[in-house]
Amino acid sequence: MDDIHELLKRQAEWQRGRKALSWPEKIRMSESIRESVLKFHRTGPHTKSYKNKNGDSS
Amino acid sequence: MREVAELLNKMREAGVIMNYALFGAAAQMRYTEPVSTLDADVLIAISSSNRLDLLSPIYEFCSRRGFQAEGEAIRVGAWPVQFIPAFSPLTQEALEQADTADFEGIPLRVVRADYLAVIALSVARPKDFTRILALLESASVSREEIASLAAKHKLAEAWKEFERKFLNG
Repeated sequence: MDDIHELLKRQAEWQRGRKALSWPEKIRMSESIRESVLKFHRTGPHTKSYKNKNGDSS
Repeated sequence: MREVAELLNKMREAGVIMNYALFGAAAQMRYTEPVSTLDADVLIAISSSNRLDLLSPIYEFCSRRGFQAEGEAIRVGAWPVQFIPAFSPLTQEALEQADTADFEGIPLRVVRADYLAVIALSVARPKDFTRILALLESASVSREEIASLAAKHKLAEAWKEFERKFLNG
């Protein structure tokens, strides 16, 4: 488990470092994933598109 | 996300990973309103023979397909993807019990809402508590489901404390 914890620490550190990105860069990155996030959200079991597709009228 | 799903499925077919499931903030957005994230976290199960060099088979597999490392992640289309080995009995179970979403015809395994909530409860940063509240608000999971899963993973007290602080006020 030590190797996994070491890896998790490195990954968390990298994520913290990304907070230092500039606002314009963060917005650019958010825009680049916008469409796929929308499509992904529509796969959620509570969404209308999911219920229509799976015949759930509740 | 389509590229991510395709890559993960190929990685599993090739035996580079035994299984995977999207989790963290990206997975949460399947169930709730949007939350802030700039990358996709993927929980993975790897074989014990990979343990000496945990992620190198994954990095090599991705590199051969043109996906390059970017810090502690791999850039797949628009998404930096972090591969996180299951690190506890709770995350192992979350991985095994994951739901399969249909992303434009491509199967994509995603950690279920109840597991996302209880993993957040176990991590217990302020932003994790916000995530639990968002999951409850979206009705993706009930308090009873969280309580039951939390109890199974020795987090009953943490859940009671969460309820006392945020839900019974």
